[in-house]
Amino acid sequence: MNTVKGKRKWEPYIWLLPSVLLISVFVVFPIIIVFRLSFSEISKAGVVGGFNGFQNYIDAVNLPAFKTVMQNTLWWVLSVVGLSTLLGFIIALVFNQKFAGRKIARSIMIFPWATSLVIQASVWNYIIKYEYGNLNNVLLNLGIIKEAINWRSSYQIEFVWECACGIFVTVPFVTFCVLSGLQSIDEALYESATVDGAGFWKKLFSITLPLVKPSLSVSTVLNIIYVFNSFPIVYTMTKGAPANKTDTMITYLYMLSFYDRKKGPAIALSVIGFVILCVCAGVYMLAVMRKEEER
Amino acid sequence: MKKIITSLLSLSMALSMVTGAAVTANAEEAGDITLDVIICQYGPNTNDWFLGTGMDGSNFVEKFEAENPGIKLNLDVVSWNDVYTEVDTRIANNNAPDILNIDVFANYANEGLLLPVSDYCPEDLFEDFFPSFIEQSVIDDTVWAVPDLASARALFCNVDIFEEVGIDYPTTWAELEDACQAIIDYYDGEVYPWGIDMTTDEGQAAFAYYVWGNGGGFVDENGEWAVNSDENVEAINFALSLIDNGYTNPNPATQTRYDLQDMFAAGKLAMVIAPNQLPTYVADKGGDINMVTVNIPANDGKASSSVGVMDRVMAFKDDTAGDQDARNEAIGKFLKFFYDPENYVGWVSMEGFLPAVNSAVEALVAADPSFEAWLDVLAGCQFYPTAKAEWDQVKQGVIAAEQNALTGADIQDELDALQADLVG
Repeated sequence: MNTVKGKRKWEPYIWLLPSVLLISVFVVFPIIIVFRLSFSEISKAGVVGGFNGFQNYIDAVNLPAFKTVMQNTLWWVLSVVGLSTLLGFIIALVFNQKFAGRKIARSIMIFPWATSLVIQASVWNYIIKYEYGNLNNVLLNLGIIKEAINWRSSYQIEFVWECACGIFVTVPFVTFCVLSGLQSIDEALYESATVDGAGFWKKLFSITLPLVKPSLSVSTVLNIIYVFNSFPIVYTMTKGAPANKTDTMITYLYMLSFYDRKKGPAIALSVIGFVILCVCAGVYMLAVMRKEEER
Repeated sequence: MKKIITSLLSLSMALSMVTGAAVTANAEEAGDITLDVIICQYGPNTNDWFLGTGMDGSNFVEKFEAENPGIKLNLDVVSWNDVYTEVDTRIANNNAPDILNIDVFANYANEGLLLPVSDYCPEDLFEDFFPSFIEQSVIDDTVWAVPDLASARALFCNVDIFEEVGIDYPTTWAELEDACQAIIDYYDGEVYPWGIDMTTDEGQAAFAYYVWGNGGGFVDENGEWAVNSDENVEAINFALSLIDNGYTNPNPATQTRYDLQDMFAAGKLAMVIAPNQLPTYVADKGGDINMVTVNIPANDGKASSSVGVMDRVMAFKDDTAGDQDARNEAIGKFLKFFYDPENYVGWVSMEGFLPAVNSAVEALVAADPSFEAWLDVLAGCQFYPTAKAEWDQVKQGVIAAEQNALTGADIQDELDALQADLVG
């Protein structure tokens, strides 16, 4: 009996061992190395030198594009996560209703999320192309416009297109997270609320929102991380041009490392990004958990 | 029983991860020299030629190993998008390749990572390289890399458009402006007269086209950085005026040379500066453009200059190698085999590039007489100052200056700031 108990004690650890090894080798170990490198001198060719304190961080913060890139990153995360959460929530409400073709609509909804981001961004590039872009072609053929419009006439507009593409590919994830939450709500709650005279908005704010909150929280935290770290959309659509004005932190640090060959500041930036992300996700999780506990 | 089996499976999975690397490391036969080689992917045929069946049913690696017993090649073909990441990561992990094919070399040489070419390149092969190419890879009187191939840029004009409008091909900037205006007037904006690529990919080429055509350049006559010279500022202001006057493609900061080539292939662009492979590119895109190549227009009284682009092969040091002489000899054999006209001619013509060795010229011209005209262009080319350590900074700096100027900044201020960074 004791032997069986003894076996059971170590058995879970053996089961966990492959995952722990994988996470250690491919996640924890690289994070430790990046932190160490961020305090080291690194040559243009990538040769690691000695300890140089906070010099890489000072160089990173003093880069001419640093402020622009941080602002862009903030707008990128806020707009993509915020708008895709709002749109995803609305679409989930629609998809939760019974209507003909609901299954097909739900299947189509998954496409933008299931397709590679590089392909998505390339397709968006073709859509908004001035010379033979699909958007101009459609509008010209429908007679809505008389001559082609340059949809990328300034870097501010380019950045808006990048955000639009980001929202398009993120909405399905939110939709399905919320939908799973909606489907677990007992129909009887709505029925009794209706009997008590509650309208659409009352039911939305008093029943739906509180009950899908856990699903929304998960999707928001994951989206903050995914969107902050998103590389392919910005890199494929503009490569940060002109002069880093459409870069986010992730694309900028890549350009810094492999185009400008300023590897030290690039690594420092990646650590700064990691810390920002941990703080944002941590604060959000704590706030959500505290509210849950209060309830 | 089931639990025991699954536990054992989990344990074996974990162990296999640890032991896998060791088993791989022992697979190599004792006594053989293995060279790690990284080759850049120039086109769809590169991989097939080096690793597939593109070399008469066989490939470079198989043929080389058959001809050179005792030397194994661990050869990777890496796309241009990834090669810098791959090489830098390998260097950071003390795992640099033995042989690398890439465009830049100065950082590696300056940091003491490269072997001098004289250590491994057979003398007869060294004499075969075009001397003007070899000069581009010299730092402190030492040659650090050899050229593998080159391409040259020229101005391609759409003959039908020029005949339709009834204008001559421009040779000066003033003639270029007149030609652009005539094309705009005739086609009412349906055809872009002139293509400009100031993108992150190749904005340095745009810089070179204009500043070299105005007697300026990246460096002065003493080889010192001079990016903010009066000639350079005047030249870039001229390029910006072409954009402001509506003579060019609308988004020069994001429309790459390939976008311009696509427009040219579709008959939407009248003139584009492009490499010698453009006719092949247009044909591959299904375009049927009647085109002619002319010199890139220069400012009045200034000489036209073409831009030469050259890639290189270099060898890294490896202090862990037991027999350095044998390793150097193996690298030399690799080069001999690669540049053997029997192999090299097929390689260069396959991707439509220009050769870097004299011994290949005769065979290439015999196979395609149009090569001869391009060899003349190549002879008069200027190259980027890639042997200078600050080239990466300058390259990205001029691109940023152009792109900032496109959004309203003053190019003089931008180039002054870059110059101050370089000399400060």
